[in-house]
This record gives sequence, C-alpha cells and structure tokens, in this order.
Amino acid sequence: MRPEVRETQAAMEREGYIAEPAIATAVFLARAMRKPLLVEGDAGVGKTEIAKVLARMLDTELIRLQCYEGIDVNTALYEWNYQRQLLRLRIAGTDGREPTEVEQMIFSRDCLLERPLLRAITRRDGPPVLLIDEIDRADDGFEAFLLEVLSDFQVTIPELGPVTASHVPYVVLTSNRTREIGDALRRRCFYLYVEHPPLEKEVRIIRARVPEVVDGLAREIAAVMQAFRGRRLHKAPGVAETLDWTRALMALRLDRLDADAVEETLGCVLKDHHDVRDLTAQGVGELVADARSSGAADA
Amino acid sequence: MTAASWNGRRGLADERRGGKRGRGMTVASWNGRRELADERRGGAAWPMHDRDVVERLARFAGRLRERGVDVCVSDEIDGAAALLLVDPGDRDEVRFALRVALKVRRADWDTFDELFRDFWAAGDDSAGPRGRPDEAPTRPSPPRADRRGPAPPWRWIQAIAPPADEREREAPVGDRPGRSADALLRRKPFDDWNADDLPAMERLLARAARRLKCRPSRRLAPVRAGGRVDLRRSFRRAVGTGGELFSPARRNRAREKPDVALLCDTSGSMDPHTRFLLTFALSLKRVVRRCEVFAFNTSLTRLTPWLTPEKIGPTLERLAAGVPDWSGGTRIGASLDEFVTRYADELVSAKTVVVVLSDGLDADGPAVLAAAMQAIRERARKVIWLNPLLGDPRYRPEARGMKAALPFVEHFVPAHDLESLERLLPLLTAGGRTPSSAGGRRRTAGPPAWQGAMREHEGSRGGPPGA
Repeated sequence: MRPEVRETQAAMEREGYIAEPAIATAVFLARAMRKPLLVEGDAGVGKTEIAKVLARMLDTELIRLQCYEGIDVNTALYEWNYQRQLLRLRIAGTDGREPTEVEQMIFSRDCLLERPLLRAITRRDGPPVLLIDEIDRADDGFEAFLLEVLSDFQVTIPELGPVTASHVPYVVLTSNRTREIGDALRRRCFYLYVEHPPLEKEVRIIRARVPEVVDGLAREIAAVMQAFRGRRLHKAPGVAETLDWTRALMALRLDRLDADAVEETLGCVLKDHHDVRDLTAQGVGELVADARSSGAADA
Repeated sequence: MTAASWNGRRGLADERRGGKRGRGMTVASWNGRRELADERRGGAAWPMHDRDVVERLARFAGRLRERGVDVCVSDEIDGAAALLLVDPGDRDEVRFALRVALKVRRADWDTFDELFRDFWAAGDDSAGPRGRPDEAPTRPSPPRADRRGPAPPWRWIQAIAPPADEREREAPVGDRPGRSADALLRRKPFDDWNADDLPAMERLLARAARRLKCRPSRRLAPVRAGGRVDLRRSFRRAVGTGGELFSPARRNRAREKPDVALLCDTSGSMDPHTRFLLTFALSLKRVVRRCEVFAFNTSLTRLTPWLTPEKIGPTLERLAAGVPDWSGGTRIGASLDEFVTRYADELVSAKTVVVVLSDGLDADGPAVLAAAMQAIRERARKVIWLNPLLGDPRYRPEARGMKAALPFVEHFVPAHDLESLERLLPLLTAGGRTPSSAGGRRRTAGPPAWQGAMREHEGSRGGPPGA
C-alpha cells in the first residue's frame, strides 16, 4: 500500500470514517488527480459522509447541492435577485434612462444570488469540497449541464459573460441508483461503489461513532444487522440505521440484545412497512439468537 | 486534447515530459498534480510505468469491452494515470484503483475481477511470451468444459452473456425444464424474417415518434401562455422596453418522451416471432429517448450494449449465435425476477414503460412471476404485455404464467404483425400514471385490464394472424 493511501485511510479514520482500502484508494486518487468522485451504493452506506469527511480532512468548506426532480440551473448555479431588480427598474423608469444603462443596472454582480455551483468555483479562500448529492434524482438535462461545469469549471451567465473558476473544487457526487447515471458524466468522474460494511468493519464503525457503546453490544448489533441484510428485504438497512439503532438502544440503557428489545426498536432499523410486518410475523428471536452466537464466534 | 482539460490542468502538462519514465505514452503528462510529479522525479524506479504496462492495460480494457463492460479510451487514460499514483506491488490497491479509474459498475465487478487476474499475472511474467505486446490477446480457457462433456462454443457466451458460472448457480444444468442438453447454444437462423419489413417498420416508427404524447416533466420550460410568470425572462424583456414590464414571460412544466424497457422472450415457443420482434426493438431504440433491451429464456441477458441501430442485420445474426439457449425452454418468472433484482433499480423509473414480449408459457410456478410483475408494476410508469398468440381469435390467456402476470399488466396486446405493433405505439405514451398513483396492488381488483385491450383488438382485426 502506498504511504499516501495509508495516510488517507488514517486521516479519514481520525475524522470518524472507517474506510476500507477500496474507499481510501478512491478518495486518494480523486484528490490527487483532482477529478470528481462519483459514489454509488445503497441508501445509508455512508456516501454523503465521504464528502463531509473529505472537507474536514482538508479543513475546508463543504458546499452542498441537493438534487431533486426538476432541479434547474437557477437553483444550482445562480439566480437574479428579482426584488432588487424590480426596485432598480422602478427607479430607472422614473429617471428615463437609456436601455443599456438600465441593463447594466439590473444585471450587475450585486443583483446576482450565488447558488452552490457558482459559490464553489468562485470561493475566495481556496478550493472547497462540492457535494452534489443524489444526482440520480435530477433529470438528464441537468446532468448534461453539470457535465459542462465539471469539465471546464467555467460557467457562462448570459447577462454577465463567462465566470471562470478561481480554483478547481474537490467534487463528490452521490447516487442512490434510482436511475442509471449517463455514461458521459460517469467518464468525467472516478467511480466508487460502496457496499454494506462487513461485520468487523461495522463493529469498528459503531465504536468510532458511538464511543460509549459496550463492546459486546456493538458486536451483537453488527451481527444482527448482517443478518437483516442477508434476508430479502425491500429496503436493506444501512450504516445510518445501525448508528440510529445503537443510539436508541443506548438511550434505553440496554447492554445486551434480546428478542423483545429488537422487536420494540425495530422501527429504527427497518423503514419499510412490509419488512417490519414480515419480520415480526417470523419472530425475531431466532434471528437474534443466531446473530448472537455467530457474533460471539467471530469474536 | 480533451484529456488535459478534463483534469483542468492544461498548464501542468509539461511538468513530466522530461523524465525517462514518460517515454512510452504521454499518459504521464496528462496526469499530474505538481507535488506528486515533483515527488516522483527523484524517486525510485517505477516498474509499473513503462510501455508494457500501458499496453497491458489497453489489452485488459479490450477484454473488458469484449465481455460487455463499458470502458473507453478516456477511461484507459485515467487508468494509466491512476496506476502511477498507487503502489504497483499491492495487488488490491492496483485493483481498487483500476476499478475506480475505469468506472466499473457494481454489476461488472465479477467480470472485472476475473480479467484482472490475467492482467495481474501478465505483470508477473511479462518477460514470458504471453505478455508480449505483439501477441494477440489470449483468452482464458473455457470454464468447466471438462465437466460438461464437449465444450460449448464458449466464446459466444463470453461475448454476449453473463459469465457461465453465474448462470449455472441460478439454474443447475440438469433440472432446467423444457430444454435438451444441446439447446444451450443452438444456433438458430432467422428464417422467417423478411428483410423488406425492416425499412417499412422504421418508417412507421419514425412517423409515430413525432406524435408521441409526452409526460409532463418537473422541469419548467418557456411557454407562450398559461403556466407561471418567469421572472428571469420577464426582466430580460423589460430591458428592451426601457424598464417597463409590458408582458411577463411565462413558463410551465416541460413534456418529455418516455423511456422504454423491452424484455423479449427468445424461447422455442416464441421462435417464429423472435426475429421480427427484435427488429422492432431495434427500431424502437431509435425513436424513444432511451430504450433498454433484454432477452430472456432460461436466464436474462442485457442486449442494450450490443444493439446499435446502424447494423440491425448483423446484430441479429450475432444475437442468434450468441444468446444462450436461443429457442430453448422458458423461465419467465425467474428471468423477470433477475431483471427486478439486478436492473430495475437503475433502469425502471416513473418515466419507464416496461414492455414484455412473450407468450406467457412459463416453466416455473406462477408465484415467482406474479411477484416479479408486481415489483415491476410498482416502479414503472406502465406495463405492456405483447403476446403473439393473441393474434389468434381462439386464444385465451389460460397458461398459468400468463394468468399470473395479467393483473399487473395495463395493456395486453397482440404482436403478430406490423399492424399490431403500430397500435402499440400510442399506448407507450398515452395515459401514463402519475408517480403518486404507483402501486400495483389496487389493480388486482376489478376486471382485468387486458379484457378491454382484447375487445379493442377483436373489433379491429382484419384477417387471420400472419404467423
């Protein structure tokens, strides 16, 4: 392993992110080659967290663009401050000025509202981390627009002219794979697929994020989570659920798992009605017992 | 040179040109943060970085492409650049780096790992004849040929189908219903298909495409009237009138064409129709925004990467030769289930119309099929089932599989001639559900949806079915 990769791994761990070599390598490469990193994986495996950790590691600002269906350039890049423009138009109307003068008045930099993308490339104090979250929710048109921004880091505001990046931000894109990301965008990025963590890693994650947890409990929780993911569920629980659940169990002052406790707190783990119903019907006792014995065996 | 601009570091290109390591290819200059380049300049020898590695990488990428993993030249450049940054002696690190830099999807990891073994091994004995650049790529030996008796023409499986061991895991050879031992790769010429149909079909589809009614998008686009006021364009206009807002500009929700996912049954019972229907699939791919095509019989194969509209004829020949089990038995339920688990997440959304082309003669129990259909129904905008048998007036959907699937089907339509396909086109776009009304369960109540479609069909049918 290259020292830089190991260093990346250690730095991420210091920030509370347990990264296996595959993730550390990807983050290191994206950083070193300054390419956007496209992170895919199931919900709750820690995709967004990668960007947050990267920002903390680099000690820089995290600028987040949350995508949704129908997101457009105005929300992502810039918007005009209409109130201010309207005000100026009024003034201009009463003064009877020249059209070009009016134009300069209302389409000036101080009527411009910066949205995340513009802010990311024009930030004064060094490159920020730009998180473009859930890109799969945006439509193809927006993806094509992003492509332009991410390849040249230059945007054109028709009324003002081109705005060039003062630096290249570190870009992390995440996708839940509700739709396939276009090839063109994928090619501009490095591509990382994050899987659910294996048992040992999950135990370490729990310990890192909920330090007050008892060791035995962490192991049992991780083992039960693995068992859940082994079932065919509509929505497999992610690490986010693991941590929620751990905190819930801590709040209930439990230090061992039993069937009752699991059943009562199942809502922290399974977020789909059918899954909860199926599992409750089958009874969680067996699952917990199995997980406990396997967890103990691994320990 | 676009590679440089992707990295946004045009100016640094000269940085590394001097060193002897840069001799083979300019890859080294494309990559390159300043500090890393500096650091390496005085560093130790870099065994991975020579001409041989670049060629080995190119060959590796070529094999990935042969197996259907989408890797292009820019990915190879990224891969080469990434190799410079990682520990060349650490197998996993090289593997992870290449997986990231070549942008290998999760579904392709198995193929990648399998081929990576060769890539890595070639590095170990690169002095041997195998790693020499002038040699044609060697292929791995056919998997498990010894246990299956005579080796199948495995290169076709490799070229077009998922790895053989993957298929085998799902359906052990011995107990696949409805197929003989040599059905695995029976080469089947497309006798019934008439080449004259093709231009006619394309013309028809092109015409129909212009009429496609479309689903309202969430995106807002300029309109002349209606919708909401578009402040941005209004102010733009106001400039021309000296700051007076005479007529506000407006915008409303844009309309977009649907995506289509087409699942073609290529089993024996569908044989007379298959070529015709695949041609239809290829033509359709031209006119809708996005069309994914799958073939299934005892297992599912994604055909989309191999379907290029320019070469319909050759593609069909290739498919006839390449799809495993062409004209073998059918496991519709298992195939659709595989579609749901492997592909539906990414390929089926509220914009997608799923079209199944099959006679519904399923060798499996109906429960699997019903569950898979329900899952598809919940995600998709609409599900259409094309059945060639429906062209026969005496046909009733009595087959167990067909019965199981029907509650989840919105339109059940015949597909035995060009005319019947023509009637299909308006269905692709008309009356899609809004995403909020998604949910297949409610459809199980009330009269089955296909009855209406059948009645329509019976009223308009002219003569006996062509097939």
